[in-house]
Amino acid sequence: MALDYSALLFDPVYAELGVPATLTVGAAAAVDITVIDDTKPKTVPVSGGTQTAEVRGVGPAAFARVYELAGKGITRADYADAEIAFNGRTWIARSWELRGSPMGEDWGEVRFLLKEAA
Amino acid sequence: MTDVREDILARLLVVVAGIPNIRTALRNDVDIPEDKLPAITVFDGDEETNGAEDRSARLPGRAYVPSMMPEIVVQELHAVGSELSTFRREIVKRVLGDATLIALVGSNGSIRYIGCQTDFGWLREKFNAMNVQFVLRYPLKIEEL
Repeated sequence: MALDYSALLFDPVYAELGVPATLTVGAAAAVDITVIDDTKPKTVPVSGGTQTAEVRGVGPAAFARVYELAGKGITRADYADAEIAFNGRTWIARSWELRGSPMGEDWGEVRFLLKEAA
Repeated sequence: MTDVREDILARLLVVVAGIPNIRTALRNDVDIPEDKLPAITVFDGDEETNGAEDRSARLPGRAYVPSMMPEIVVQELHAVGSELSTFRREIVKRVLGDATLIALVGSNGSIRYIGCQTDFGWLREKFNAMNVQFVLRYPLKIEEL
């Protein structure tokens, strides 16, 4: 692979768009990482019966670099239910999805799908 | 002037608005922001009569017993679990037992619980919804409209 997508793409983007965050797994100490806030408007439909209705809200989410997390000891087994705090709010990772890179999924991003911390 | 159908729909909203923990009660609103939840919405729904099959020579103004099928949709955000079962129980109990609704449908009418459907999703918390359906048969007297 001639191009290093981490150095040429992800790292500069995170340097510009990223915000400081902490990721906490269970009782372990919080780890400082950088995330891109991907919280967006979201609409959920209600489709039962003959009537369709919608509720508008937000779908909180955040991108992080898989290789940054791995370098700080956070494995995929730690992603689900991790506590992630950024931009003044604290969330729980209810699910996650990998966004690969041409260098492979270990050098791409993970998109955390978040819910409000109870 | 008497519009029993409208009276029934207006009463349904009053009945379900009194359910504990409901923040917002609406009628025919299909676009609700999350900060109004838990919300309950009464949709007017469909109505049918036996008019299409009636080949009698009776005058057009004869009495009908239409079947109206309002839908009651309850929506909530919940961090853990759901209160849908509680809401369903309250909706069914209150609609079937409401003395005003029973009086509106009259002795030739009826109120029946048809069933319900659920929907789930995610916003900032878990989104739970349930559509509860009824059929109400009531006397439609054309001369009273």
